[in-house]
Amino acid sequence: MINVNPQILTQGNKLDINNLSPEQVALEIKNLNLHYGDKQALNDISMKIPKGQVTAFIGPSGCGKSTLLRCINRMNDLVDSCRIDGAIELHGDNIYSKHVDVAQLRRKVGMVFQRPNPFPKSIYENVVYGLRLVGQNNRRVLDEVCERSLRAAALWDEVKDRIHDSALGLSGGQQQRLVIARAIAIEPEVLLLDEPTSALDPISTLTIEELINDLKKKYTVVIVTHNMQQAARVSDQTAFMYMGDLIEYADTNTLFTTPAKKKTEDYITGRYG
Amino acid sequence: MKTWFKSGSPWVWLSAAGVSISLISVVGLLFLIASRGLSFFWPSQIHQFELQTAQGQTSVVIGEIYDRERIPASQLNNAQVDLGDAESVERYLVKTGNRELVNLDFRWVLEPMVQQQSQPEDVAVIERRTNGNFYGFIEEVYMDGESVDVAKLDSFIDRVNELQEDIEQLQGTDIGAINYELERIRLKERKAELDGMLTDEVKTGFEKRRQELAAEYKELEANLNKLRRDVQRDKIVVRAMDGQTVDINLEQVLQINFNNQMGFFSKLGQFFTQIGNFIGDDPREANTEGGVFPAIFGTVLMVLLMTVIVSPLGVVAAIYLHEYAGNNAFTKLLRIAVINLAGVPSIVYGVFGLGFFVYMVGGSIDQLFYPESLPSPTFGSPGVLWSAITLAILTLPVVIVSTEEGLARIPSSMRHGSLALGATKAETLWRIILPIASPAIMTGIILAIARAAGEVAPLMLVGVVKMAPSLPLDGNFPFLHLDRKFMHLGFHIYDVGFQSPNVEAARPLVYATALLLVTIIVALNMTAVSIRNRLREKYRALEH
Repeated sequence: MINVNPQILTQGNKLDINNLSPEQVALEIKNLNLHYGDKQALNDISMKIPKGQVTAFIGPSGCGKSTLLRCINRMNDLVDSCRIDGAIELHGDNIYSKHVDVAQLRRKVGMVFQRPNPFPKSIYENVVYGLRLVGQNNRRVLDEVCERSLRAAALWDEVKDRIHDSALGLSGGQQQRLVIARAIAIEPEVLLLDEPTSALDPISTLTIEELINDLKKKYTVVIVTHNMQQAARVSDQTAFMYMGDLIEYADTNTLFTTPAKKKTEDYITGRYG
Repeated sequence: MKTWFKSGSPWVWLSAAGVSISLISVVGLLFLIASRGLSFFWPSQIHQFELQTAQGQTSVVIGEIYDRERIPASQLNNAQVDLGDAESVERYLVKTGNRELVNLDFRWVLEPMVQQQSQPEDVAVIERRTNGNFYGFIEEVYMDGESVDVAKLDSFIDRVNELQEDIEQLQGTDIGAINYELERIRLKERKAELDGMLTDEVKTGFEKRRQELAAEYKELEANLNKLRRDVQRDKIVVRAMDGQTVDINLEQVLQINFNNQMGFFSKLGQFFTQIGNFIGDDPREANTEGGVFPAIFGTVLMVLLMTVIVSPLGVVAAIYLHEYAGNNAFTKLLRIAVINLAGVPSIVYGVFGLGFFVYMVGGSIDQLFYPESLPSPTFGSPGVLWSAITLAILTLPVVIVSTEEGLARIPSSMRHGSLALGATKAETLWRIILPIASPAIMTGIILAIARAAGEVAPLMLVGVVKMAPSLPLDGNFPFLHLDRKFMHLGFHIYDVGFQSPNVEAARPLVYATALLLVTIIVALNMTAVSIRNRLREKYRALEH
């Protein structure tokens, strides 16, 4: 059976995700359906993602977990054939309503991708990119944000002497932490991580996982992962998805130890996936 | 055999052969042009031939050997020379110069006619401003009508060259500026007249300025006349190959060399001086002598202008096609049209440029902005601007295609990373995509430059002339005169090689100019390539 993070097990103030008060909810997904052309990729998903916690989406390849994640900051808008109905509410406001500024939304809901994608600029410029976008060019502010973000992403000590060197010279794990630093430099409310460690070696993976644990103190984190052990180690809640359906959504401990659904049990015991 | 075939080595050999052939042709081409072109500048030995015809008449020919060839004796049946029973004879092409004595610069000398061949030490090569070279022996030097020591000749020539420079400065720059301003006053007056603003007050203002300029002009003219008298002070008496003596005023003389007395190093020095003159001087004698500086300047200026016009246009078009245009039949049609534009013969662009840019656009500009100078056109006649724009249209497809390819190569993760940080599409393009695509854009520009710098045909219709009186860039406001016609190395080659009265003499000049054109294109390309390499280095890790 899978080892569940002892920290989570010992947490006294565990949230009951089926019974959240409105201020405890960061995101609420309501009857979300998504089609790519004629093909339906997400079927009527509804769930509440609590504030200040790590929520993991797991499931076999092609189950729609990444698609669901990309709905939360409307990255699916970039796909021409994609059609979405239903609603996602960020602190009570539907992000799919007409008057929402997508760029503003994405500043509130940051995202880190599967493969590290630093820009071909210096480490410094990568981190402050989001600030420069809103016209912040004050050197002092930028310096401060850069250091704080890199510290928060546990990268500062490794790069502090070369923050003006190209970010492309960093290792994969460092690049992924840089990308996280870049995302948190603009102080988002929610941080979406799309399989953030799948392209990394075990040591880097461990560093990132520790980082995720720190991040939830300030941000609501939603993580998609292939790796059930990782979900068990880092998350507070876990959602299991299969073929575009949300099969089971519970706190991580419950889901991994006493799954309610047969499909969940089959998946976590490795019968398919 | 079968395994050898299977191993793929035949294909390796075949491709190696292909590479070698291209390499050899490139090297061969450069070598041919360079050797023919550069040998033109090398001071060659001057030969003196004593010839005797079959009838016993003797004559002397002095000159440089330009070429030698062997021809069958049968070709020379009626030559007045005893060929014996030789099957073929060698003949020399000798440059004899002395245009005032003989009509042709060149003359064939049959080897059997030569009684004696020598290289007299004291034969002088007199390079002149007009009428080409003179070969002969310096008999006397006159200063102000009095015979003086021949040794003073060098200082006299230096003096003449300095005076000539002053004259040129006075004539071209100072008097040119006055003429330019007079013309501007005339145009201002005409404009005021057209606008109905020509009051007596304005008129007297113009008149006053005109008188000031006229006074200035008088002064300069007096100076010029004085200089002209000065420069004609000295003369030399030269004995030509047939014994006649000729007076040559030093005003005409550029330099006098005694090629047969020169050692290797002084020849080398002379060689580089000649190359320097070729690059830095204005052409003389209907382009067959002197330098090609205006043509170099025109070529480079036109190509730079073209680059400035085509790069933003091509990049913007490529961005629209790749990023914003919907993926539909119309976009596909546009793309096909763009690619096919690259296949249109360049002369067609010239016709288009003449019809559309020069006559329509230029004509309208003249009517709107330069009505005072009509009927003489300002922008309504071929000029460097229209040439640059025409070539920009010609090279546009290259820039569009390579920029689009560069945009397509950028991993989508870059876009997504930027968008996820709250950048709009335009911000992403500007801050992330364009910098990463810059090496590809540079590749497009390099190809555009390579194509444009070598293009001659369309330019003949939209702005190139055989001889431009002034450069498109000078000291008179507004400094860059985009409406002026210009000279171009490619056209210069054509003109010198095929339109000049003295094709034989101009042939080495053709090679030299071709070498220069190749050098300039390579230099422009290398600059662009080095910029691209620097950009590429910056984004190297992205290209997997």
